[in-house]
Amino acid sequence: MQRDRIHLGLYLAGVLGATLIHAPAWLAAGLALVLLLSGRDAASLLRRAVLTVLAFNTLISLSYLGMAWWQDAFTQAPSPWLTLLRLNLRVLLLTCLTFLFIARTNLFQALDFSKSLTYVLGLAYSQTLTFSRAHDDFRLALASRSLTRPSLIDRYRASAAAISWFIEKSLHAATQSSQALRSRGFFHD
Amino acid sequence: MHIPDGFISPQTYLPASAVAAGLWTYAARRVKRDLDADTLPFLAACTALSFVLMMVALPLPGGTTVHAAGIGLLAVSFGGWMAFLAISLVLAMQALLFGDGGITALPINALAMGFIGSFAALAAWKALGRWNQTIALFLAGWLSIALPALLVALALGVQPLIAHDAQGAPLFFPFGLAVTLPAVVLPHLLVGLAEGVLSVLGYRYLTRLRSRLA
Repeated sequence: MQRDRIHLGLYLAGVLGATLIHAPAWLAAGLALVLLLSGRDAASLLRRAVLTVLAFNTLISLSYLGMAWWQDAFTQAPSPWLTLLRLNLRVLLLTCLTFLFIARTNLFQALDFSKSLTYVLGLAYSQTLTFSRAHDDFRLALASRSLTRPSLIDRYRASAAAISWFIEKSLHAATQSSQALRSRGFFHD
Repeated sequence: MHIPDGFISPQTYLPASAVAAGLWTYAARRVKRDLDADTLPFLAACTALSFVLMMVALPLPGGTTVHAAGIGLLAVSFGGWMAFLAISLVLAMQALLFGDGGITALPINALAMGFIGSFAALAAWKALGRWNQTIALFLAGWLSIALPALLVALALGVQPLIAHDAQGAPLFFPFGLAVTLPAVVLPHLLVGLAEGVLSVLGYRYLTRLRSRLA
């Protein structure tokens, strides 16, 4: 419990530090430290982080390079490469730091200073996991029942059916949880 | 729409965190006033609903899809503060439990999508709801996407102005307002149309469902 709060504090300090330093060498050193701290999981953590930021950062980097080329900025200081190196290292460092934090910390215990917050977070998280699985099921169900690519109208119908199911399920889940809270005297402890 | 980590400078996210923290505290107090065995699970259910609405892909002609956010629907159905807390919780969960989005961008995203989005939707609903429910709901959904997109574009676009090195090179997001405003806002004006339709249909369905359950 105490350990999780310390992790949360260290993580927030690390995030602040990663946005206050701007030298690529220090950002790379920070990234190396995070990977060192993640031990045997370093390769998978780095791979996951790269995959997470790849699309957005590639788009930003290529656009920036294109703009620099258009403005003939490669021959002038500061180098666009330095800007991109700094930007990508920082994003990767922050993403790796977040993944390490997620892997090592129980967020529910780190936030257990508030009973209501822990409860809402726990309940929302568990329902979110259920909904995520249901969402995958809906997606796979449509794919498995379609020999060819579903038409636009079929995909609208599938999305509408999924949304109406989620709305209905949310209301039922809220009612069930409310009854469970009442029966266990949550507000009278 | 929401911004990943590493593109927002501390000059932006630290003041934004202070503002967001103040609003979260106030919103929690407002919701807590009515916090009982009904509202607490309701907030959790709203959060989960909002999370999954962000996952559902709405198809567009041409084969592409957009993702709804359900901000307008939540604000109109459950109130602005409840929607603000639910959207903030979703963003926090995405950042801290699923590693999606970012902790430095969380206050900006929460203020843009959760606060501005929810209250803009609610204002449209309150102003026009008595005159024409369908138009009010559609506008609520559209505004709940368009206004946050504008705020996110502004937050990103000012980064080169407020965070650059001695030579003028950007330290965080590298594009100015001339790029971010059209690149972020224009697509979201279209996404807002899908969100508007979702608000109209979702609200009608929810109202029918609530009266059936009552």
